[in-house]
Amino acid sequence: MKRSDFPMLGYGVGLRRQHYSHVLETRPKVDWFEVISENFMVAGGRAPEVLEGVRANYPIVMHGVSMSIGSTDPLSRSYLRQLRDLARRFEPAWISDHLCWTGAGGRNLHDLLPIPYTEEAIRQVVARIRQVQDTLERPILIENVSSYMAFADSTMTEWEFISAVAAEADCGILLDINNIFVSAFNHRFDADEYVDAMPAERVVQYHLAGHSDHGTYLLDTHDHPVRDEVWALYERAARRFGAVSALVEWDDNIPEFTQLAQTADRARTIFATTVQTAEQDSLKNRDDDATEKTGKPALSADHRA
Amino acid sequence: MQLKKLESLLYRLITAPSGVAGAIAAERELDAGGLDAIVLGDDRLSAEARLDIYADMYFYRLLDVLKEDFPATLRVLGDDNFHNLVTGYLLEYPPTEPSVFYCGRHLSAFLRGHRLRDGAPFLADLAALERASVEVFHGPDAAALEPDSLRAIAPADWPGLELRIHPSAQILALDWQVSELLRAVEERRPWNPAQPGAVKVLVWRCNARVFYRDLEKTEADALGAASRGATFAQICDLVAARADNRDPVATINRLLARWLSDGLLARTSRPCDLARG
Repeated sequence: MKRSDFPMLGYGVGLRRQHYSHVLETRPKVDWFEVISENFMVAGGRAPEVLEGVRANYPIVMHGVSMSIGSTDPLSRSYLRQLRDLARRFEPAWISDHLCWTGAGGRNLHDLLPIPYTEEAIRQVVARIRQVQDTLERPILIENVSSYMAFADSTMTEWEFISAVAAEADCGILLDINNIFVSAFNHRFDADEYVDAMPAERVVQYHLAGHSDHGTYLLDTHDHPVRDEVWALYERAARRFGAVSALVEWDDNIPEFTQLAQTADRARTIFATTVQTAEQDSLKNRDDDATEKTGKPALSADHRA
Repeated sequence: MQLKKLESLLYRLITAPSGVAGAIAAERELDAGGLDAIVLGDDRLSAEARLDIYADMYFYRLLDVLKEDFPATLRVLGDDNFHNLVTGYLLEYPPTEPSVFYCGRHLSAFLRGHRLRDGAPFLADLAALERASVEVFHGPDAAALEPDSLRAIAPADWPGLELRIHPSAQILALDWQVSELLRAVEERRPWNPAQPGAVKVLVWRCNARVFYRDLEKTEADALGAASRGATFAQICDLVAARADNRDPVATINRLLARWLSDGLLARTSRPCDLARG
Protein backbone atom coordinates (compact mmCIF):
# COMPACT_ATOMS: atom_id res chain seq x y z
CA MET A 1 0.00 0.00 0.00
CA LYS A 2 1.26 3.47 -0.86
CA ARG A 3 -0.22 6.94 -0.83
CA SER A 4 -0.58 7.02 -4.59
CA ASP A 5 -3.10 4.15 -4.30
CA PHE A 6 -5.50 6.72 -2.85
CA PRO A 7 -6.85 9.87 -4.51
CA MET A 8 -5.69 13.29 -3.33
CA LEU A 9 -9.02 14.70 -2.23
CA GLY A 10 -7.80 18.17 -1.34
CA TYR A 11 -9.04 20.07 1.72
CA GLY A 12 -12.22 18.99 3.45
CA VAL A 13 -14.22 19.32 6.64
CA GLY A 14 -15.98 16.88 8.95
CA LEU A 15 -19.71 16.68 8.21
CA ARG A 16 -21.65 17.50 11.36
CA ARG A 17 -25.39 17.53 12.03
CA GLN A 18 -25.46 21.30 12.59
CA HIS A 19 -24.42 21.85 8.97
CA TYR A 20 -26.58 19.24 7.21
CA SER A 21 -29.10 21.73 5.81
CA HIS A 22 -26.46 24.28 4.85
CA VAL A 23 -24.43 21.71 2.95
CA LEU A 24 -27.43 20.23 1.15
CA GLU A 25 -29.00 23.56 0.28
CA THR A 26 -25.98 25.67 -0.64
CA ARG A 27 -23.41 23.09 -1.80
CA PRO A 28 -20.54 25.07 -0.25
CA LYS A 29 -17.16 25.18 -1.91
CA VAL A 30 -15.19 22.54 -0.09
CA ASP A 31 -13.32 19.62 -1.63
CA TRP A 32 -14.66 16.71 0.40
CA PHE A 33 -16.34 15.58 3.62
CA GLU A 34 -15.42 13.08 6.28
CA VAL A 35 -18.27 11.42 8.16
CA ILE A 36 -18.28 9.51 11.44
CA SER A 37 -19.17 5.99 10.29
CA GLU A 38 -21.14 5.06 13.43
CA ASN A 39 -23.49 8.05 13.00
CA PHE A 40 -24.79 6.45 9.83
CA MET A 41 -25.09 2.88 11.08
CA VAL A 42 -28.81 3.35 11.62
CA ALA A 43 -31.81 1.76 9.96
CA GLY A 44 -32.93 4.93 8.20
CA GLY A 45 -34.10 8.47 8.76
CA ARG A 46 -32.39 11.77 8.22
CA ALA A 47 -28.75 10.74 8.63
CA PRO A 48 -28.50 8.33 5.67
CA GLU A 49 -30.78 10.56 3.62
CA VAL A 50 -28.43 13.50 4.21
CA LEU A 51 -25.41 11.38 3.35
CA GLU A 52 -27.02 10.35 0.06
CA GLY A 53 -27.41 14.03 -0.78
CA VAL A 54 -23.88 14.95 0.25
CA ARG A 55 -22.36 11.98 -1.54
CA ALA A 56 -24.08 13.02 -4.77
CA ASN A 57 -21.98 16.19 -4.79
CA TYR A 58 -18.77 15.45 -2.89
CA PRO A 59 -16.24 12.71 -2.28
CA ILE A 60 -16.56 11.33 1.22
CA VAL A 61 -14.36 9.39 3.62
CA MET A 62 -15.72 7.20 6.41
CA HIS A 63 -14.01 7.71 9.75
CA GLY A 64 -14.86 5.36 12.61
CA VAL A 65 -14.54 5.71 16.37
CA SER A 66 -15.52 2.24 17.59
CA MET A 67 -13.52 -0.38 15.70
CA SER A 68 -11.40 -0.77 18.82
CA ILE A 69 -8.48 -2.10 16.83
CA GLY A 70 -6.27 -2.16 19.92
CA SER A 71 -8.71 -4.12 22.08
CA THR A 72 -8.21 -7.72 23.13
CA ASP A 73 -11.95 -8.40 22.75
CA PRO A 74 -12.84 -10.22 19.54
CA LEU A 75 -13.53 -7.86 16.63
CA SER A 76 -17.24 -7.31 16.27
CA ARG A 77 -18.35 -9.10 13.11
CA SER A 78 -21.66 -7.31 13.18
CA TYR A 79 -19.88 -3.94 13.36
CA LEU A 80 -17.61 -4.85 10.46
CA ARG A 81 -20.56 -6.06 8.40
CA GLN A 82 -22.37 -2.78 8.99
CA LEU A 83 -19.25 -0.86 8.07
CA ARG A 84 -18.81 -2.89 4.89
CA ASP A 85 -22.47 -2.38 3.93
CA LEU A 86 -22.18 1.34 4.58
CA ALA A 87 -19.07 1.50 2.40
CA ARG A 88 -20.80 -0.40 -0.40
CA ARG A 89 -23.69 2.03 -0.29
CA PHE A 90 -21.77 5.30 -0.07
CA GLU A 91 -18.48 4.40 -1.74
CA PRO A 92 -16.05 6.38 0.40
CA ALA A 93 -12.59 7.18 -0.94
CA TRP A 94 -11.27 5.28 2.08
CA ILE A 95 -12.12 4.09 5.59
CA SER A 96 -10.22 5.03 8.72
CA ASP A 97 -10.29 4.45 12.47
CA HIS A 98 -8.06 5.02 15.46
CA LEU A 99 -5.03 3.15 16.73
CA CYS A 100 -6.52 2.64 20.16
CA TRP A 101 -8.92 0.53 22.19
CA THR A 102 -12.42 1.66 23.11
CA GLY A 103 -13.67 -1.00 25.48
CA ALA A 104 -13.08 -4.25 27.29
CA GLY A 105 -15.13 -7.31 28.18
CA GLY A 106 -17.84 -6.43 25.66
CA ARG A 107 -18.37 -2.98 27.13
CA ASN A 108 -17.73 0.27 25.35
CA LEU A 109 -16.06 3.33 26.86
CA HIS A 110 -16.86 5.50 23.84
CA ASP A 111 -13.39 6.94 24.19
CA LEU A 112 -10.06 6.42 22.43
CA LEU A 113 -7.53 4.88 24.80
CA PRO A 114 -3.85 4.41 24.06
CA ILE A 115 -2.08 1.08 23.76
CA PRO A 116 1.24 0.22 25.36
CA TYR A 117 3.91 0.37 22.66
CA THR A 118 5.16 -3.20 22.83
CA GLU A 119 5.89 -6.07 20.46
CA GLU A 120 2.88 -7.92 21.93
CA ALA A 121 0.62 -5.00 21.03
CA ILE A 122 2.07 -4.78 17.52
CA ARG A 123 1.29 -8.45 16.90
CA GLN A 124 -2.21 -8.07 18.30
CA VAL A 125 -3.07 -4.90 16.38
CA VAL A 126 -1.53 -6.02 13.09
CA ALA A 127 -3.54 -9.27 13.10
CA ARG A 128 -6.73 -7.31 13.70
CA ILE A 129 -6.06 -4.72 11.01
CA ARG A 130 -5.45 -7.53 8.53
CA GLN A 131 -8.75 -9.11 9.54
CA VAL A 132 -10.54 -5.79 9.08
CA GLN A 133 -8.92 -5.18 5.72
CA ASP A 134 -9.91 -8.68 4.57
CA THR A 135 -13.52 -8.06 5.56
CA LEU A 136 -13.68 -4.61 4.03
CA GLU A 137 -11.68 -5.76 1.01
CA ARG A 138 -9.54 -2.63 1.07
CA PRO A 139 -6.65 -1.16 3.04
CA ILE A 140 -7.69 1.09 5.91
CA LEU A 141 -6.02 4.09 7.51
CA ILE A 142 -5.15 4.14 11.20
CA GLU A 143 -5.01 7.38 13.14
CA ASN A 144 -2.73 8.39 15.99
CA VAL A 145 -4.83 9.44 19.02
CA SER A 146 -4.35 12.17 21.57
CA SER A 147 -3.39 10.54 24.84
CA TYR A 148 -3.17 11.47 28.49
CA MET A 149 -1.43 8.38 29.78
CA ALA A 150 1.61 6.38 28.74
CA PHE A 151 2.65 2.96 29.96
CA ALA A 152 5.65 1.76 31.90
CA ASP A 153 5.68 -1.37 29.71
CA SER A 154 6.19 0.54 26.45
CA THR A 155 9.46 -0.40 24.77
CA MET A 156 9.35 2.06 21.88
CA THR A 157 8.11 5.54 20.96
CA GLU A 158 4.63 6.15 19.60
CA TRP A 159 6.02 6.98 16.17
CA GLU A 160 8.04 3.76 16.10
CA PHE A 161 4.94 1.84 17.12
CA ILE A 162 2.60 3.34 14.52
CA SER A 163 5.24 2.99 11.79
CA ALA A 164 5.78 -0.68 12.66
CA VAL A 165 2.04 -1.40 12.77
CA ALA A 166 1.40 0.33 9.43
CA ALA A 167 4.31 -1.48 7.76
CA GLU A 168 3.40 -4.95 9.05
CA ALA A 169 -0.34 -4.57 8.46
CA ASP A 170 0.29 -2.80 5.16
CA CYS A 171 -2.20 -0.06 5.95
CA GLY A 172 -2.21 3.71 5.58
CA ILE A 173 -1.80 6.39 8.23
CA LEU A 174 -4.19 9.18 9.05
CA LEU A 175 -1.83 11.60 10.72
CA ASP A 176 -3.66 13.82 13.18
CA ILE A 177 -1.40 16.84 13.51
CA ASN A 178 -3.26 18.19 16.52
CA ASN A 179 -3.07 14.82 18.27
CA ILE A 180 0.69 14.77 17.82
CA PHE A 181 0.91 18.24 19.34
CA VAL A 182 -1.38 17.37 22.25
CA SER A 183 0.38 14.09 23.06
CA ALA A 184 3.80 15.70 22.66
CA PHE A 185 2.90 18.20 25.37
CA ASN A 186 1.26 15.61 27.62
CA HIS A 187 4.17 13.15 27.39
CA ARG A 188 7.01 15.59 26.75
CA PHE A 189 8.18 14.23 23.45
CA ASP A 190 9.31 16.17 20.40
CA ALA A 191 6.45 16.67 17.93
CA ASP A 192 8.87 17.51 15.12
CA GLU A 193 10.70 14.24 15.66
CA TYR A 194 7.37 12.42 15.40
CA VAL A 195 6.51 14.05 12.05
CA ASP A 196 10.01 13.49 10.73
CA ALA A 197 9.85 9.79 11.60
CA MET A 198 6.57 9.00 9.85
CA PRO A 199 6.84 6.76 6.77
CA ALA A 200 5.97 9.30 4.06
CA GLU A 201 4.55 6.79 1.60
CA ARG A 202 1.91 5.67 4.12
CA VAL A 203 0.59 9.08 5.18
CA VAL A 204 -2.68 9.40 3.24
CA GLN A 205 -4.59 11.97 5.27
CA TYR A 206 -4.19 14.66 7.93
CA HIS A 207 -6.56 15.77 10.63
CA LEU A 208 -6.43 19.37 11.82
CA ALA A 209 -8.34 20.43 14.93
CA GLY A 210 -8.31 22.63 18.00
CA HIS A 211 -7.62 21.59 21.58
CA SER A 212 -8.03 23.11 25.01
CA ASP A 213 -5.25 23.99 27.42
CA HIS A 214 -5.79 22.77 31.00
CA GLY A 215 -2.45 23.99 32.26
CA THR A 216 -0.93 20.69 33.24
CA TYR A 217 -2.22 18.96 30.13
CA LEU A 218 -3.80 19.61 26.73
CA LEU A 219 -7.15 18.06 25.91
CA ASP A 220 -8.18 17.12 22.39
CA THR A 221 -11.58 18.80 22.47
CA HIS A 222 -12.10 19.83 18.84
CA ASP A 223 -13.84 22.94 20.14
CA HIS A 224 -11.35 25.68 19.26
CA PRO A 225 -9.71 27.01 16.13
CA VAL A 226 -6.53 25.22 15.11
CA ARG A 227 -3.72 26.73 17.20
CA ASP A 228 -0.73 28.43 15.58
CA GLU A 229 1.64 25.77 16.91
CA VAL A 230 -0.43 23.08 15.21
CA TRP A 231 -0.39 25.03 11.96
CA ALA A 232 3.40 25.20 12.25
CA LEU A 233 3.54 21.42 12.69
CA TYR A 234 1.24 21.01 9.70
CA GLU A 235 3.61 23.16 7.66
CA ARG A 236 6.46 20.87 8.65
CA ALA A 237 4.40 17.83 7.61
CA ALA A 238 3.44 19.51 4.33
CA ARG A 239 7.12 20.12 3.58
CA ARG A 240 8.02 16.55 4.35
CA PHE A 241 5.10 14.63 2.83
CA GLY A 242 3.97 16.80 -0.09
CA ALA A 243 0.35 16.71 -1.23
CA VAL A 244 -1.78 14.92 1.36
CA SER A 245 -5.57 15.21 1.78
CA ALA A 246 -6.33 17.35 4.84
CA LEU A 247 -9.47 17.49 6.95
CA VAL A 248 -10.67 20.00 9.54
CA GLU A 249 -12.45 18.46 12.56
CA TRP A 250 -14.74 20.48 14.81
CA ASP A 251 -17.03 18.65 17.25
CA ASP A 252 -17.99 21.05 20.00
CA ASN A 253 -18.83 24.77 19.99
CA ILE A 254 -19.25 24.18 16.29
CA PRO A 255 -19.05 27.49 14.37
CA GLU A 256 -20.73 28.54 11.14
CA PHE A 257 -19.78 26.37 8.20
CA THR A 258 -17.88 29.24 6.58
CA GLN A 259 -15.33 29.18 9.42
CA LEU A 260 -14.69 25.49 8.81
CA ALA A 261 -14.34 26.07 5.08
CA GLN A 262 -11.95 28.96 5.75
CA THR A 263 -9.85 26.71 7.97
CA ALA A 264 -9.68 24.12 5.18
CA ASP A 265 -8.65 26.90 2.81
CA ARG A 266 -5.92 27.96 5.20
CA ALA A 267 -4.54 24.42 5.05
CA ARG A 268 -4.62 24.65 1.26
CA THR A 269 -2.82 28.00 1.27
CA ILE A 270 -0.17 26.84 3.73
CA PHE A 271 0.53 23.80 1.61
CA ALA A 272 0.77 25.87 -1.59
CA THR A 273 3.08 28.39 0.08
CA THR A 274 5.17 25.65 1.64
CA VAL A 275 5.62 23.88 -1.68
CA GLN A 276 6.44 27.16 -3.41
CA THR A 277 8.99 28.04 -0.74
CA ALA A 278 10.47 24.56 -0.87
CA GLU A 279 10.81 24.81 -4.65
CA GLN A 280 12.44 28.23 -4.36
CA ASP A 281 14.79 26.91 -1.68
CA SER A 282 15.61 23.95 -3.85
CA LEU A 283 16.32 26.19 -6.82
CA LYS A 284 18.39 28.52 -4.69
CA ASN A 285 20.42 25.61 -3.41
CA ARG A 286 21.00 24.44 -6.94
CA ASP A 287 21.90 28.00 -7.99
CA ASP A 288 24.30 28.27 -5.07
CA ASP A 289 25.84 24.96 -6.09
CA ALA A 290 26.13 26.16 -9.68
CA THR A 291 27.67 29.48 -8.62
CA GLU A 292 30.15 27.67 -6.49
CA LYS A 293 31.14 25.39 -9.31
CA THR A 294 31.23 27.88 -12.21
CA GLY A 295 31.66 31.18 -10.45
CA LYS A 296 28.63 32.47 -12.37
CA PRO A 297 24.95 32.73 -11.31
CA ALA A 298 22.82 29.90 -12.68
CA LEU A 299 19.86 30.59 -14.92
CA SER A 300 16.72 31.53 -13.08
CA ALA A 301 13.75 29.22 -13.07
CA ASP A 302 11.97 31.44 -15.61
CA HIS A 303 14.85 31.30 -18.02
CA ARG A 304 15.07 27.57 -17.79
CA ALA A 305 11.39 27.32 -18.51
CA MET B 1 1.27 -6.64 32.26
CA GLN B 2 -0.48 -8.68 29.59
CA LEU B 3 -2.55 -6.50 27.24
CA LYS B 4 -5.89 -8.16 28.03
CA LYS B 5 -5.33 -7.86 31.75
CA LEU B 6 -4.24 -4.23 31.38
CA GLU B 7 -7.30 -3.19 29.39
CA SER B 8 -9.68 -4.92 31.83
CA LEU B 9 -7.98 -3.22 34.76
CA LEU B 10 -8.10 0.22 33.15
CA TYR B 11 -11.75 -0.29 32.19
CA ARG B 12 -12.63 -1.04 35.82
CA LEU B 13 -10.70 1.94 37.16
CA ILE B 14 -12.12 4.38 34.61
CA THR B 15 -15.75 3.36 35.03
CA ALA B 16 -15.78 2.95 38.81
CA PRO B 17 -18.59 5.07 40.28
CA SER B 18 -16.45 5.69 43.36
CA GLY B 19 -13.84 7.47 41.20
CA VAL B 20 -10.37 6.35 40.21
CA ALA B 21 -8.81 6.83 43.66
CA GLY B 22 -11.44 4.67 45.35
CA ALA B 23 -11.19 2.04 42.65
CA ILE B 24 -7.40 1.89 42.96
CA ALA B 25 -7.70 1.32 46.70
CA ALA B 26 -10.16 -1.53 46.15
CA GLU B 27 -8.39 -3.11 43.16
CA ARG B 28 -6.88 -6.55 43.74
CA GLU B 29 -5.09 -6.78 40.39
CA LEU B 30 -2.66 -4.00 41.33
CA ASP B 31 0.55 -5.22 42.95
CA ALA B 32 2.73 -3.36 45.44
CA GLY B 33 3.83 -0.82 42.84
CA GLY B 34 0.23 0.29 42.42
CA LEU B 35 -0.93 2.21 39.38
CA ASP B 36 2.46 3.97 39.15
CA ALA B 37 4.02 0.69 38.06
CA ILE B 38 1.69 0.61 35.07
CA VAL B 39 0.88 4.19 34.05
CA LEU B 40 3.63 6.78 33.95
CA GLY B 41 3.09 9.86 36.08
CA ASP B 42 5.27 12.94 36.27
CA ASP B 43 5.62 16.24 38.14
CA ARG B 44 2.67 17.69 36.21
CA LEU B 45 0.21 14.81 36.48
CA SER B 46 0.27 11.66 38.58
CA ALA B 47 -0.75 8.33 37.09
CA GLU B 48 -4.03 8.60 38.98
CA ALA B 49 -4.70 12.12 37.66
CA ARG B 50 -4.08 10.89 34.13
CA LEU B 51 -6.63 8.12 34.56
CA ASP B 52 -9.03 10.65 36.06
CA ILE B 53 -9.02 12.49 32.74
CA TYR B 54 -10.35 9.35 31.05
CA ALA B 55 -12.85 8.70 33.85
CA ASP B 56 -14.26 12.21 33.48
CA MET B 57 -14.45 11.94 29.72
CA TYR B 58 -16.24 8.58 29.93
CA PHE B 59 -18.91 9.85 32.27
CA TYR B 60 -19.45 13.32 30.89
CA ARG B 61 -19.57 12.22 27.26
CA LEU B 62 -22.37 9.77 28.06
CA LEU B 63 -24.07 12.26 30.36
CA ASP B 64 -24.15 14.75 27.46
CA VAL B 65 -25.59 12.13 25.11
CA LEU B 66 -28.31 11.23 27.62
CA LYS B 67 -29.09 14.90 28.31
CA GLU B 68 -29.62 15.40 24.61
CA ASP B 69 -31.79 12.29 24.24
CA PHE B 70 -33.87 12.90 27.40
CA PRO B 71 -34.37 16.69 27.67
CA ALA B 72 -37.72 16.41 29.46
CA THR B 73 -36.51 13.83 31.97
CA LEU B 74 -33.58 16.16 32.64
CA ARG B 75 -35.89 19.14 33.06
CA VAL B 76 -38.12 17.31 35.54
CA LEU B 77 -35.22 15.94 37.58
CA GLY B 78 -32.86 18.90 37.42
CA ASP B 79 -29.12 18.66 36.76
CA ASP B 80 -28.03 17.11 40.07
CA ASN B 81 -30.65 14.38 40.16
CA PHE B 82 -30.11 13.58 36.48
CA HIS B 83 -26.36 13.35 37.12
CA ASN B 84 -27.00 10.90 39.96
CA LEU B 85 -29.47 8.95 37.86
CA VAL B 86 -26.91 8.55 35.06
CA THR B 87 -24.22 7.49 37.53
CA GLY B 88 -26.37 4.58 38.66
CA TYR B 89 -27.66 3.86 35.18
CA LEU B 90 -24.20 3.45 33.65
CA LEU B 91 -23.27 1.10 36.45
CA GLU B 92 -26.25 -1.13 35.71
CA TYR B 93 -26.37 -0.64 31.94
CA PRO B 94 -22.85 0.14 30.71
CA PRO B 95 -22.71 0.80 26.96
CA THR B 96 -22.11 -2.33 24.92
CA GLU B 97 -22.76 -1.08 21.39
CA PRO B 98 -20.38 0.75 19.04
CA SER B 99 -22.71 3.75 18.71
CA VAL B 100 -23.80 6.07 21.53
CA PHE B 101 -27.24 5.95 19.90
CA TYR B 102 -27.95 2.86 22.01
CA CYS B 103 -26.74 4.10 25.36
CA GLY B 104 -30.12 5.40 26.54
CA ARG B 105 -32.20 2.43 25.49
CA HIS B 106 -32.64 1.06 29.04
CA LEU B 107 -33.14 4.35 30.88
CA SER B 108 -36.91 4.02 31.06
CA ALA B 109 -36.65 0.47 32.46
CA PHE B 110 -34.01 1.65 34.93
CA LEU B 111 -36.27 4.48 36.09
CA ARG B 112 -39.16 2.11 36.83
CA GLY B 113 -37.39 0.83 39.90
CA HIS B 114 -35.56 4.02 40.85
CA ARG B 115 -36.22 6.02 44.01
CA LEU B 116 -36.30 9.26 41.97
CA ARG B 117 -39.61 8.04 40.62
CA ASP B 118 -41.16 8.48 44.06
CA GLY B 119 -41.45 12.22 43.55
CA ALA B 120 -42.34 11.98 39.87
CA PRO B 121 -44.02 8.62 39.19
CA PHE B 122 -44.50 9.47 35.48
CA LEU B 123 -40.74 9.62 34.84
CA ALA B 124 -40.34 6.13 33.38
CA ASP B 125 -43.15 6.76 30.89
CA LEU B 126 -41.71 10.15 30.01
CA ALA B 127 -38.31 8.56 29.35
CA ALA B 128 -40.00 5.84 27.28
CA LEU B 129 -41.59 8.49 25.06
CA GLU B 130 -38.30 10.36 24.69
CA ARG B 131 -36.45 7.15 23.84
CA ALA B 132 -39.11 6.20 21.28
CA SER B 133 -38.62 9.59 19.63
CA VAL B 134 -34.91 8.87 19.22
CA GLU B 135 -35.57 5.38 17.84
CA VAL B 136 -38.24 6.58 15.43
CA PHE B 137 -35.90 9.32 14.17
CA HIS B 138 -33.36 6.66 13.18
CA GLY B 139 -35.90 3.96 12.30
CA PRO B 140 -36.25 2.20 8.93
CA ASP B 141 -37.21 4.15 5.83
CA ALA B 142 -40.27 3.66 3.66
CA ALA B 143 -41.84 5.92 1.07
CA ALA B 144 -45.11 7.44 2.22
CA LEU B 145 -48.29 6.28 0.55
CA GLU B 146 -49.80 8.89 -1.77
CA PRO B 147 -53.59 9.51 -1.59
CA ASP B 148 -53.79 8.85 -5.33
CA SER B 149 -52.69 5.25 -4.75
CA LEU B 150 -55.78 4.65 -2.62
CA ARG B 151 -58.08 6.35 -5.09
CA ALA B 152 -56.87 3.99 -7.79
CA ILE B 153 -57.94 0.87 -5.89
CA ALA B 154 -60.98 -0.89 -7.34
CA PRO B 155 -63.93 -1.16 -4.89
CA ALA B 156 -63.78 -4.95 -5.02
CA ASP B 157 -60.17 -4.90 -3.78
CA TRP B 158 -60.76 -2.78 -0.69
CA PRO B 159 -61.88 -5.51 1.72
CA GLY B 160 -58.67 -7.51 1.24
CA LEU B 161 -56.44 -4.46 1.31
CA GLU B 162 -53.59 -4.46 3.82
CA LEU B 163 -52.48 -1.05 5.00
CA ARG B 164 -48.81 -0.83 5.88
CA ILE B 165 -47.88 1.38 8.78
CA HIS B 166 -44.56 3.18 8.36
CA PRO B 167 -41.92 0.77 9.76
CA SER B 168 -40.36 3.43 11.98
CA ALA B 169 -43.65 4.16 13.81
CA GLN B 170 -44.19 2.99 17.38
CA ILE B 171 -47.28 2.79 19.57
CA LEU B 172 -46.47 3.04 23.27
CA ALA B 173 -48.83 1.85 25.98
CA LEU B 174 -48.23 4.15 28.96
CA ASP B 175 -49.75 4.60 32.39
CA TRP B 176 -49.15 8.35 32.55
CA GLN B 177 -50.19 11.08 30.13
CA VAL B 178 -46.76 12.46 29.42
CA SER B 179 -47.19 13.86 25.89
CA GLU B 180 -48.18 17.33 27.03
CA LEU B 181 -45.24 17.48 29.44
CA LEU B 182 -42.78 16.59 26.67
CA ARG B 183 -44.40 19.10 24.33
CA ALA B 184 -44.11 21.83 26.96
CA VAL B 185 -40.40 21.13 27.40
CA GLU B 186 -39.80 21.05 23.66
CA GLU B 187 -41.60 24.36 23.28
CA ARG B 188 -39.75 25.81 26.27
CA ARG B 189 -42.97 26.39 28.19
CA PRO B 190 -43.53 25.76 31.91
CA TRP B 191 -44.48 22.13 32.45
CA ASN B 192 -46.95 20.45 34.79
CA PRO B 193 -46.60 16.95 36.23
CA ALA B 194 -48.22 14.31 34.02
CA GLN B 195 -51.56 12.91 35.15
CA PRO B 196 -52.19 9.22 35.69
CA GLY B 197 -54.25 7.37 33.10
CA ALA B 198 -53.62 4.61 30.61
CA VAL B 199 -52.91 6.01 27.18
CA LYS B 200 -51.51 4.83 23.89
CA VAL B 201 -49.14 7.25 22.22
CA LEU B 202 -48.28 7.10 18.54
CA VAL B 203 -44.72 8.16 17.67
CA TRP B 204 -43.96 8.47 13.98
CA ARG B 205 -41.73 10.16 11.48
CA CYS B 206 -42.70 12.26 8.50
CA ASN B 207 -40.22 14.15 6.31
CA ALA B 208 -37.38 13.50 8.76
CA ARG B 209 -39.33 14.98 11.69
CA VAL B 210 -40.64 13.01 14.65
CA PHE B 211 -44.22 13.55 15.84
CA TYR B 212 -46.23 12.06 18.67
CA ARG B 213 -49.84 12.20 19.78
CA ASP B 214 -52.17 10.40 22.14
CA LEU B 215 -54.52 7.99 20.42
CA GLU B 216 -58.22 7.59 21.08
CA LYS B 217 -59.14 3.97 21.69
CA THR B 218 -60.71 3.34 18.27
CA GLU B 219 -57.68 4.69 16.43
CA ALA B 220 -55.27 2.81 18.70
CA ASP B 221 -57.11 -0.45 18.04
CA ALA B 222 -57.31 0.18 14.30
CA LEU B 223 -53.61 1.05 14.05
CA GLY B 224 -52.69 -1.91 16.20
CA ALA B 225 -54.68 -4.22 13.95
CA ALA B 226 -53.19 -2.69 10.80
CA SER B 227 -49.68 -3.12 12.13
CA ARG B 228 -50.45 -6.80 12.79
CA GLY B 229 -51.47 -7.26 9.13
CA ALA B 230 -55.27 -7.01 9.43
CA THR B 231 -57.18 -6.42 6.20
CA PHE B 232 -59.20 -3.28 5.60
CA ALA B 233 -62.40 -5.27 6.13
CA GLN B 234 -61.15 -6.51 9.50
CA ILE B 235 -60.23 -2.98 10.54
CA CYS B 236 -63.71 -1.78 9.49
CA ASP B 237 -65.30 -4.57 11.55
CA LEU B 238 -63.23 -3.59 14.53
CA VAL B 239 -64.24 0.08 14.24
CA ALA B 240 -67.91 -0.82 13.69
CA ALA B 241 -67.91 -3.08 16.75
CA ARG B 242 -67.22 -0.14 19.01
CA ALA B 243 -70.46 0.34 20.93
CA ASP B 244 -70.14 4.10 20.99
CA ASN B 245 -69.46 4.44 17.28
CA ARG B 246 -72.63 5.59 15.54
CA ASP B 247 -71.04 6.28 12.17
CA PRO B 248 -68.22 3.79 11.49
CA VAL B 249 -67.93 4.83 7.83
CA ALA B 250 -67.24 8.42 8.82
CA THR B 251 -64.78 7.21 11.45
CA ILE B 252 -62.87 5.08 8.94
CA ASN B 253 -62.78 7.95 6.46
CA ARG B 254 -61.50 10.30 9.13
CA LEU B 255 -58.80 7.87 10.26
CA LEU B 256 -57.63 7.14 6.73
CA ALA B 257 -57.47 10.83 5.87
CA ARG B 258 -55.46 11.56 8.98
CA TRP B 259 -53.05 8.65 8.49
CA LEU B 260 -52.44 9.79 4.93
CA SER B 261 -51.86 13.41 5.88
CA ASP B 262 -49.59 12.35 8.74
CA GLY B 263 -47.47 10.27 6.35
CA LEU B 264 -48.17 7.28 8.56
CA LEU B 265 -49.01 4.88 5.75
CA ALA B 266 -46.19 3.44 3.71
CA ARG B 267 -46.09 2.25 0.15
CA THR B 268 -45.81 -1.47 -0.26
CA SER B 269 -45.08 -3.95 -3.00
CA ARG B 270 -46.69 -7.01 -1.47
CA PRO B 271 -49.05 -8.73 -3.92
CA CYS B 272 -51.98 -8.89 -1.49
CA ASP B 273 -52.13 -5.19 -0.87
CA LEU B 274 -51.87 -1.82 -2.54
CA ALA B 275 -49.69 -2.86 -5.46
CA ARG B 276 -52.56 -5.00 -6.64
CA GLY B 277 -54.81 -1.98 -6.57
